[in-house]
Amino acid sequence: MKLLGVLLRKELLATFGSPVGYTVAAVFLLVLGYTFSLTLFATKVANLIYIFHQMYVLTILLVPALTMRAFAEERRNDTLELLLTAPVGEVWIVLAKFLAVYGLVLAMYCGAMVYVGVLEAYGAPDWGPIASGSLALVCHAALIVAIGLLMSSLTENQVVAAALTLGASLMLWFADSVAYLLPPPFDVVVLNLSLIGHFRPMVTGSVFVSDIGYFVSGTLLALFLTTRRLVER
Amino acid sequence: MALAALDLEINRGEVFGLLGPNGSGKTTFIRLLSGYLLPTAGRLEICGSDAVEQSLQARRKIGYVPEAAPVYGFMRVREFLAFMARLRGMEGRAVHDAVDRVIAALALEAVADKPARTLSRGYRQRTAIAQALVHDPELLILDEPVNGLDPRQIIEIRGLIRDLAGRHTVLMSSHVLGEVARTADRVGILLDGRLRGVRAMADTPDLEAWFLSLA
Repeated sequence: MKLLGVLLRKELLATFGSPVGYTVAAVFLLVLGYTFSLTLFATKVANLIYIFHQMYVLTILLVPALTMRAFAEERRNDTLELLLTAPVGEVWIVLAKFLAVYGLVLAMYCGAMVYVGVLEAYGAPDWGPIASGSLALVCHAALIVAIGLLMSSLTENQVVAAALTLGASLMLWFADSVAYLLPPPFDVVVLNLSLIGHFRPMVTGSVFVSDIGYFVSGTLLALFLTTRRLVER
Repeated sequence: MALAALDLEINRGEVFGLLGPNGSGKTTFIRLLSGYLLPTAGRLEICGSDAVEQSLQARRKIGYVPEAAPVYGFMRVREFLAFMARLRGMEGRAVHDAVDRVIAALALEAVADKPARTLSRGYRQRTAIAQALVHDPELLILDEPVNGLDPRQIIEIRGLIRDLAGRHTVLMSSHVLGEVARTADRVGILLDGRLRGVRAMADTPDLEAWFLSLA
């Protein structure tokens, strides 16, 4: 655990020492503020369902910019050799990178929670969907960050890593559309891979263990594969 | 297969030079020793620890400087050295003492509080060596340690490596005959992934002639 702390501190230094994190956070909050204002004035309804969907999309679009450098940059700068020849298990290296980027995404989400305060001040929001929607976003971000790390571990080119992350996330997003074209039992299998299929129920207030299980198992699988990739060098 | 029929024992406290042309397998061998690559066959032992079965234990005994002398540019030199010390399991006061020791040993005082990305090639190489020495390893592995350095820096690094002999076992690779001749106690010649010969420098008055006889 001490090693995790040492590695995490280094990752946070790298994340907050680079303009990428600040830029992504600024774009995220700016776009979200714009959308929130528009939606509130247009619908005059005190809920965040639309905003949560916006955050879902922005996470898919922006997280690749945060994860792309994780391993790709270390590989390109040869610093990965320093990490992998130090007496530290690969799993700690992966976990530290995951926690640093995930922490930044959660911080961005916290910034967006000001909208909850606005709704509470001027309306009477239903807290159930807000709580379950927040849980959905926390789960969703973990999966996208983990996929981003996996893709970054596969290449030393940051742009390729970002493109692969975006591609994989979009494929998962649209899996339900593909499922309708497939014969049984493949349609059910592909339908269950759908990102939006597991996100939508939670954001509207229905929390199922299967949906949480999807995000947790997907995140763990991606982190496991990233660790294996490092072990295999 | 990048390496074959490589049977080599390096004595404690000596400077061993691994000589060979580009593409001969020097970096592959060094990456195997450092733990960056895993062997597909054979056995590697680092100061009594099996490099595969007891990988973490073996890695604790090693200080490794890759050819590119990588450093984290966003950290200050002192911060980078402290990070590498903690990564090797050092804690508390011992980290600061070790960092001060290697900063003094490698004459890094002038750049200790500068961001590593601003370092010249020479200081960068010294910083990379400092990170490898910060935990006082038994074995120091240097991959092409004078590559890209100017003559003055080469002389400084050569002197430094000689100073380390005795206290540390040093394995250095190079494709420059003169460099190995001036620095190493023993030399091994690697050609096409095979170790073609090992000799003490004291018994090798003409390294160039010996190299050509094997090549």
